[in-house]
Amino acid sequence: MTRLIVGPFNRVEGDLEVILDVADGAVREARVKSSLYRGFEQILQGKAPLDALVFVPRICGICSVSQSAAASQALASAMGIKPPDNGRLAANLIQASENVADHVTHFYLFFMPDFARDCYKSQPWWHATSGRFKAVTGSAAGDFLPARAGWMRAMGLLAGKWPHTLTLQPGGSTHPINASERLRLLRVLREFRAFLERITFGDTLETVAAITSANELASWAERHAGSDFGLFLRASQALNLRALGHAGVAFMSYGAYEQPNGRWWPAGVWAGGPALLDPTQIAEDVSHAWYADAEAPLPPQRGSTLPIADKDAAYTWCKAPRLGGEVVETGALARQLVAGHPLAHDLVARDGGGVEARVVARLLEVARLVPAMETWAEALRPGEPFSVAGELPAEAEGMGLVEAARGSLGHWLSIRRGRLHNYQIIAPTTWNFSPRDSAGRPGALERALVGVPVGEGEKAPASVQHIVRSFDPCMVCTVH
Amino acid sequence: MTETFYDVLRRQGISRRSFLKFCSLTATSLGLGSAYAPKIAHAMETKPRTPVIWLEGLECTCCSESFIRSAHPLTKDVVLSMLSLDYHVTLMAAAGHQAEKQLEEIKKKYKGNYILAVEGNPPLNEDGMFCIEGGRPFVEILKETAADAKAVIAWGACASWGCVQAAKPNPTRATPIDKVISGKPIVKVPGCPPIAEVMTGVVTYMLTFDRIPELDRQGRPKMFYGQRIHDKCYRRPHFDAGQFVEHWDDDAARKGYCLYKMGCKGPTTYNACSTVRWNDGVSFPIQSGHGCIGCSEDGFWDKGSFYDRVTDIKQFGVEANADKVGGTAAAVVGGAVVAHAAVSALARARNQTGIDVPKEGDK
Repeated sequence: MTRLIVGPFNRVEGDLEVILDVADGAVREARVKSSLYRGFEQILQGKAPLDALVFVPRICGICSVSQSAAASQALASAMGIKPPDNGRLAANLIQASENVADHVTHFYLFFMPDFARDCYKSQPWWHATSGRFKAVTGSAAGDFLPARAGWMRAMGLLAGKWPHTLTLQPGGSTHPINASERLRLLRVLREFRAFLERITFGDTLETVAAITSANELASWAERHAGSDFGLFLRASQALNLRALGHAGVAFMSYGAYEQPNGRWWPAGVWAGGPALLDPTQIAEDVSHAWYADAEAPLPPQRGSTLPIADKDAAYTWCKAPRLGGEVVETGALARQLVAGHPLAHDLVARDGGGVEARVVARLLEVARLVPAMETWAEALRPGEPFSVAGELPAEAEGMGLVEAARGSLGHWLSIRRGRLHNYQIIAPTTWNFSPRDSAGRPGALERALVGVPVGEGEKAPASVQHIVRSFDPCMVCTVH
Repeated sequence: MTETFYDVLRRQGISRRSFLKFCSLTATSLGLGSAYAPKIAHAMETKPRTPVIWLEGLECTCCSESFIRSAHPLTKDVVLSMLSLDYHVTLMAAAGHQAEKQLEEIKKKYKGNYILAVEGNPPLNEDGMFCIEGGRPFVEILKETAADAKAVIAWGACASWGCVQAAKPNPTRATPIDKVISGKPIVKVPGCPPIAEVMTGVVTYMLTFDRIPELDRQGRPKMFYGQRIHDKCYRRPHFDAGQFVEHWDDDAARKGYCLYKMGCKGPTTYNACSTVRWNDGVSFPIQSGHGCIGCSEDGFWDKGSFYDRVTDIKQFGVEANADKVGGTAAAVVGGAVVAHAAVSALARARNQTGIDVPKEGDK
């Protein structure tokens, strides 16, 4: 048995190491190590509750809006208020802007450059992928970066500044969008749609969103081999990425995008079939993380975060959240499964949901979200309220559950004597990259890496890189 | 043969025409005037290329996020190829040991000649174990890399001041980089994050002229941090007229009145947000109806709630004369900003005969 330490990883947000025990040419056990801790939960104690809206976005520069959305919902639940229609639509648009940007950034800057690796030089598609996606020099960055900068004007129009937007408040949005801003917003949406349809997909978003099965996807890929998504599917098929990186656990989604009667993509659990999500079943185990132990895993509403530097069993700063004691995977694939999209169902029924299914689900979401954003923007009513006022009680509890690009994000807070008494955060990658729990059950990525072949003398196997990045990890969110 | 920026550019297939266009854009964006364009061109054609090493400590990657989203035409051609970020953890192709090796090679090859750009900061508690990279505390990597750098750029509030992780009680003892690096010129580019165009502007200036820009006494480039948000705020007339927003989305908010009563820190914050703006110059926090939180100022996390109004303004700068005129009013009204509002309104009213002086009833 040999031990391999892969990391620090580049092209992920934040610091990450993966420790692999290899025997007989394959990974036998994997341990995921998050090596960065800042102490947001400690810092937030005793602060003015509304100041959480300024603190929490700084957990992460890439999903700052999701953090801000979770905080505003947690505060809104403590205050017992609900944004008006315009506020709801603005929040959906702001969150969707970030989630689309994150998905596309992951695809272009973080995930695809792995196909430009020299180890794939003998593949017939290597010239295409390396010319297009090689980090820094590939031609795709030149197409993508200006499109992304253009897309972010939507965030400017809706929310002023990004990263670290301040516009989302418990009662709605601070920014009443006027008729001319709405018009400009629609133009930004149209321009980005053009980029996606011309370059990313080479097809209309509606056609991509309407693909219902793995077979249909394969034949679509043959007809659109020149598009960036087509190029991914070609490489993925050649490398059999569909068979790589299954975690073999249930999928969870908190549900995303508020509608007048619930969320567009509903909350739930998928474990071979649909199940209801009960948030009170969530608890965090710290047996293998550098935190002071509790007698039993604590639900986040009563959670604690006390770092201790010396702990024998610990190997990471990441806690191990569990749903009813079980490991779950979260992310775009989980969201589309729970929301009942037939392509997500077919991919998971066929291969269980590995590297390929995760990447496909992300691009599927992009194809579904941009048209939805067009409808939301049309539905805005300039002149009508974007926000309601509310009073902050001196004693209260609050919970905010949202879906970030990378998966389920929850904030739990309690207010005592008008100040924050406790504030606990569970981020998507905390779920996906969690360490072992007290029963020894490995987290989702730790499972997904088991059995991966490692060649003689290989230091950082490409397959390991694909699996890790297929989760689109955000390490700065994971540990905050 | 030493390689120049121009060589690199041409190798990337950028035409001479685009190159000259870039030079005049740079001159304008740095506030130097078009006469400087030929000087920039000359510098780029003759000076050897300077590599940039970009390190990340305790941070949230918001600085990189801001940087790569620069809407300036420089981003695509210049930032990603010409500036040549030889080592950038989030963006580069190499990973793990290969990346570490690459860093060592750049340090050796360009000893004393590279620029070190730092995003985030080192935590010093528990021997630095709150931020470990490649099995070593970040603070060690930072010190070593800084030792052979020509100059250091501190990106954002984290590297400059400590930022959010250094907010009380600062559990990890997150420490600004100038407290652990000595004997090197450090340019602080604060903000959470800094504006993309400010970041590209600072890098371009340093690479083109091979010197650091003129700094203020806190170490920030004067060209971008010389004025308060308040000085160039488009809502300033409402401040002067004593017209304020009292609740999110109230009637005053819809009219675009001043956000000072909602806690805006624009009057005490030095940054370019109200002129350069964000996301391709589209907007900035105040334009989105939320006050400025003062994210480019030292210790902005620990100055009370972000939703409390500013009451302790020390610098008055451009209003010095108006304040002298209204010195007694200041004593009566109390809060300095309030006084300043009343006085500015008074000064304006004096120039418009026949208009009543608005009463500043606020305290």
